[in-house]
Amino acid sequence: MSALLSCHGLVMRFRGLTALDDLDLDIRRGEILGLLGPNGSGKTTFFNVVTGVYKASGGRIEFESQDISKSSPQAVYRAGIARTFQRSRLCLPLTIFDNIMIGNARHLDHGLWFNLVRRKQLRRQFEACWAEAHDLLTIFNKALGTRLLQAAGSVSMIDRRRIEVCRALVSRPKLLLLDEPSAGMTHEETNELMDDILAIRKRMPELTIVIIEHGMSVIERITDRCVVLNYGRKLCEGTYGEIARNADVQQAYLGTS
Amino acid sequence: MFSSDKLPGAASAVAGVIAIAVFAMVLLRIHDQWGLLALGVIGGIALLLAVRTGAAAHFERAFAAHERLMNGVVVVAFLGVIAVLAKEDFSLLILSTVLLYCVACMGLTVQLGYCGVMNFAGAAFFGAGAYTAAVLGGHTSLPHLLVVLAGGLVAGLLGSVLLLPVLRTRGHYAALITVAFGILFRSFLDVNNTLGGPQGLTVPGMTIFGWSLNQGLAIGGITLSFYVNYALVTLALAIVVYTVTRRLERSWVGMHFDAVRIDELAASTFGLNVQGLKIMAFVIGNVFAGMAGAVFAMMTGFISPTDFDFPTSLVLIAIIMLGGIGNLWGILPAAAFVLILPEKLQAIQEYRFLLYAGAVILVLLYRSAGLFPRRLRRHFPPKAVS
Amino acid sequence: MDIGFLAQYVLSGIMLGVVYAMVAVGFTLYFGVLDVINFSHGDVLTAGAFVSLATYLGLRATGIDSPVVVLMIMLVVALGSMALLGVLIAKFFVLPLRHAPPFITLLITLMVGIAIRESIRLFYPSGSNPQSFPQLLPKTAYHWGNLIVRQDTLILILTGLAVIALVNLFINHTRAGLAIRAVAQDGETAKVMGINFEWIVLLAFALGSALAALAGVMNGLYYNEVNFGTGLMLGIIGFCAAVVGGLGNIYGAILGGFLFALLQTIVVVAVPSLTAYKDVFAFGVIILLMVIKPTGLIGEVSSERV
Repeated sequence: MSALLSCHGLVMRFRGLTALDDLDLDIRRGEILGLLGPNGSGKTTFFNVVTGVYKASGGRIEFESQDISKSSPQAVYRAGIARTFQRSRLCLPLTIFDNIMIGNARHLDHGLWFNLVRRKQLRRQFEACWAEAHDLLTIFNKALGTRLLQAAGSVSMIDRRRIEVCRALVSRPKLLLLDEPSAGMTHEETNELMDDILAIRKRMPELTIVIIEHGMSVIERITDRCVVLNYGRKLCEGTYGEIARNADVQQAYLGTS
Repeated sequence: MFSSDKLPGAASAVAGVIAIAVFAMVLLRIHDQWGLLALGVIGGIALLLAVRTGAAAHFERAFAAHERLMNGVVVVAFLGVIAVLAKEDFSLLILSTVLLYCVACMGLTVQLGYCGVMNFAGAAFFGAGAYTAAVLGGHTSLPHLLVVLAGGLVAGLLGSVLLLPVLRTRGHYAALITVAFGILFRSFLDVNNTLGGPQGLTVPGMTIFGWSLNQGLAIGGITLSFYVNYALVTLALAIVVYTVTRRLERSWVGMHFDAVRIDELAASTFGLNVQGLKIMAFVIGNVFAGMAGAVFAMMTGFISPTDFDFPTSLVLIAIIMLGGIGNLWGILPAAAFVLILPEKLQAIQEYRFLLYAGAVILVLLYRSAGLFPRRLRRHFPPKAVS
Repeated sequence: MDIGFLAQYVLSGIMLGVVYAMVAVGFTLYFGVLDVINFSHGDVLTAGAFVSLATYLGLRATGIDSPVVVLMIMLVVALGSMALLGVLIAKFFVLPLRHAPPFITLLITLMVGIAIRESIRLFYPSGSNPQSFPQLLPKTAYHWGNLIVRQDTLILILTGLAVIALVNLFINHTRAGLAIRAVAQDGETAKVMGINFEWIVLLAFALGSALAALAGVMNGLYYNEVNFGTGLMLGIIGFCAAVVGGLGNIYGAILGGFLFALLQTIVVVAVPSLTAYKDVFAFGVIILLMVIKPTGLIGEVSSERV
């Protein structure tokens, strides 16, 4: 399997703190990769560097053989990478439909002439997008389907996370980065969410997913492969079974005896 | 008493508009200070009652539910008010000024209310349009409709030159630049004698396709005030700008403006061109302000730097904050309140900036969405089923 | 070029720089602790100048003569009252809105500034006219050849520099200053560490406002005049200086203040016919600098979690 995204010697330094320390990481096409590690090990920073939110202090990132190390967040999105955020970042005063469509900028017509004058065509594009958003959302929560026109702030925290996943998916990205999507959810809700993600995966078999998670049962269930980070470096990688047995991993999470 | 599940009928909305129009008519015609005070008190009590009994909310829902119809009703109401005031120069001048400020405030709404771009120099862009009209109108034979457009373009260009450098920085840098521009615009004009200096410039009146607006229409033996012409032109401009702004809001562009305002970072990770959108909003808003300024110059016939100073920019901001930031319909009552009241109540003229500041402070502390909060953004709001 | 002539402008430039730096330090303090832009700062400066003027007039009525005593009392009253005003502004207008979008705080402080300015204009006797400020510092001049240096200029400059140094010392070498820096770095953590967040914010505002008052008095003593609109321009310049140096950074604020004064002086000295444009020129250069270094010459200090 070819690498979809590969990082070589990635370094990220913040005034005295080294968050990513010479990281080498490959993400294979079509896999579901779990990104693990104790708090502060650099997982979210890795997402931020890949998506261009932070400019790496050193190293290289290649996506589909294209160098995206210095790319802006917009360029990274256009290349086909979408993400969710650890701390929920929805536009609460906007409708659920709007929130999802914000993720679809690649497929929308942005021109002023189109938006101001060609209202009939705008309406058609709107209705097509409506159907898409409705389809996508109802996979995650049927009840939300009727609430597309309500403010995102009016639904529960869990539903907001689901909306965020939809926002990341609506543009049909090649690589999906999920940052603790099940935070705050109960076991049942988490299992539901994972079922839904797998259902999406069936519809979009080429979709590659990297998921940051803390729940071990989730990791075990859903991932093909895992990478464990510690202090910004790769500690080990392998299947869930392999890394769970690894002594270094155990020490990183639980400490030495 | 006024709550209902189905969409309210149009009748209550029409009644509300008529009531407001009548109130405005009376307000503009009265000159007696005690009468005005009494009117103000009555108006205040009526408003309070309307809000308490839920009639105000009912009116709002009815208004929003029958949008097409209500737009027409409002235009007719305006025409009615203009007709009643047809021989009163001063009242029509105030009405037209209110409409022009509304246009500038709609521009400010696009910048600040939709896209979150701070602009503390609204009056300076308004003034840029005015001075453009003065120069082009006085020294070239460019048709006046094009002069108005030129006023808008100059303001737009000026804005883009101003904002481009600081787009990549945080919001408060844009605030700084526009504050500095807002203050320095006037001082720049004051020391600059080619543009008239502190004495100002005279501006020729507007002429559209040979029709000189500075001559009152004669209908059936009665000569109307020539300000009727300007009132009609400003109304037309307001309608055009309103339509464009409303369509802008109800589109992908409007959605992206909101996204940028609420969360720039998330917007950028989903491919939105944050800088491009901000510049677009800023330029569009300034074009509106410039056009309004051009018409203002031609209407008043004389402009000077004090018309476009920093306190005036703050008045524009006060209007959209009081009316409800991001709400186009809130601009009209707020502008009317802010502009008409001090004109009529001589006693508070001197204190008006203090009062504006106090009102905005109260709004920000207790009701920051404004008196008429903006409704949820929609692409295509549903039309009421008749 | 005539040394004496040049030296005049250099000295007045330094004087301006000192005043701008004091105002800029205030802005930086407010931004540091609360990530807020406080646009009422300039008008607090004006209020401080007017309060000291009123104090002077009151003292004169009681017959106290010694300029040193009068000046001391004026300073105590002005700085004290403005520190209090700063605390009130923070408590009632800024702190309640600290979770609202930054634009709201910017706007409310702008409005508070207007309220202060208009109140002075409306309620101080003939407030819309410039008021003459008493001459309390000796205006005798030292002559060294062509060089003429007035005593009051020297005193003001030295006082200003001393105060700036003291503030710097306070921020960087005292426990209270450490607390301010802790809150500036990370308010949440500071709270967890036992620092009383609200008290520190109020302290920062009191300090900044007292500095503004001092700048106002100094401004009045130098020009022998105060005007209700003085603070607006000084506030903008001070904000500009703080921004170009890097918001939240005290050294940046000081640097920015002197830089702005330098730019103005260059125009006045090199191209006297364009003196009226000195503000435009200085702003223009500052904007250019912001384009080149968007986070400020020394570096902005703030925190945003992604």
